[in-house]
Amino acid sequence: MANCRSLTYHSIGNATNGAVKKNGPRMGKKAEILEGLNDEAPALRRYSRALCAGAGHALSDELVQSALQSVGARIRAKELRPADLLEARIEAYAALTAMAAKRLINTQRPAPRHPPVVHGLAELSFEDRAALLLVSLEGLGYAAAARIVGAPRETLLARLMRARASLGAVGLPPADIETGARRAASHLRIVK
Amino acid sequence: MSSSGTIGDADLHALVDGELDAERRRKVEDHLLSHPNDAALVEGWRRQNAALRAAFEPVALEMLPLSLKDAATRTSGPQQAPIETGAIHWGRPGASRPTLRLDEIRASRRRQAALTTIVTLLAGAAVAGLAALVVAGRNDAPRAPVTAAPAQSYAGRAGLAYATYVSDARPVEVDISRRGELVAWLDERVGFSRPPDLAALGLRLIGGRVTPGLAAPAGLLIYERADGPRVALYFERAEASVAPLAPRAGRDVTAIEWRAGGFAFVLVGRLPQEDMQAAAERAATAVAAAEGEKR
Repeated sequence: MANCRSLTYHSIGNATNGAVKKNGPRMGKKAEILEGLNDEAPALRRYSRALCAGAGHALSDELVQSALQSVGARIRAKELRPADLLEARIEAYAALTAMAAKRLINTQRPAPRHPPVVHGLAELSFEDRAALLLVSLEGLGYAAAARIVGAPRETLLARLMRARASLGAVGLPPADIETGARRAASHLRIVK
Repeated sequence: MSSSGTIGDADLHALVDGELDAERRRKVEDHLLSHPNDAALVEGWRRQNAALRAAFEPVALEMLPLSLKDAATRTSGPQQAPIETGAIHWGRPGASRPTLRLDEIRASRRRQAALTTIVTLLAGAAVAGLAALVVAGRNDAPRAPVTAAPAQSYAGRAGLAYATYVSDARPVEVDISRRGELVAWLDERVGFSRPPDLAALGLRLIGGRVTPGLAAPAGLLIYERADGPRVALYFERAEASVAPLAPRAGRDVTAIEWRAGGFAFVLVGRLPQEDMQAAAERAATAVAAAEGEKR
């Protein structure tokens, strides 16, 4: 796994450590996994926001909440027995992706203020978008990403290739130097 | 994955995604040296990745809304209506809870209670502080900033933000050294993120923050002159119905307001009136130029 990024998320109080310690001897690994899942919320939120391609922050946060709660509940009910945090993460990403597939049937266009790459994302089909984001944005391996979207590895690869081909050079600084400089200047202006 | 002899598209993708073992990676990298077209493809995909991360990484760095704190360990099932993003819950979100986890629930209640208490106290302090300013303003108080401006105008808001933050030991939330983050943040919350360049007037941008506005979150950029005084540029998405206001001056704080591109801008500071006017004109020109380029 290329990056399980360390996330700078400061929770209020010391709930995480306290809960793990408190439940340590009795609940052990399961509690640890559940707490670990809580810490995945920022990454899931990033994925969800991108999956929704700029349409509706409320919806994307709601998807994260539903996914975390349903996976958490299934682990507590022993329907799911993830061996480690990575397994639980995969379940959470899978739940989020499945819910998003249902909720994002008639997607809204992203607002014009979003960067071009977001508009490019919105043009992709849902499957292609999910495959691209899991690998590119979330840094998941092909095997994990394939499990999340519930497709064989070859299918995932095909979607990833299609997504990258159709996203093309959208939103990237063009190779042409002159227009490149102008584009860059229009939204990043050096002060000082 | 193809056989070891030929290098296919799948290998190029796998290279970008770090899915190759060391030996295979060396082979593909060698292949790229002699095939500039494939190298360009790989470079393009890497830039796509970078663009995606630049667009969405700030989301992961934001403070989590309450609805997502401890979502996996909360006992309320998905059948319960999700808690509104950012809402503070005073009552009981879920009625039936297993007694097993009572201690955890209590802990989280305590945390929430502490949070809401702090928020309430801060709000009360802000109201009291404002009232004190208004009352004290009539007298010969040594510092009587923005007394006449109630917080019901953009200039009033700007004055309040100026009085709160500019003299603070930590005036900005995001320092200019993290410029990309600042710009993304302001764009996300306020919708405007092109800080005007006032360097020609000796005003150096030191950073910015999001601050409460009249109707929506507002942005506050703080500039500093080499000899100390600071000037703040306040901006908020403007309601179309409100007519632009004339420049307005407090006792020793000058606030100059203007509108551009659907935003209200207010420049606040203690510099002499003519310096403020020059800075405001320059900022207005820069903002208008940025708007023009955007179109």
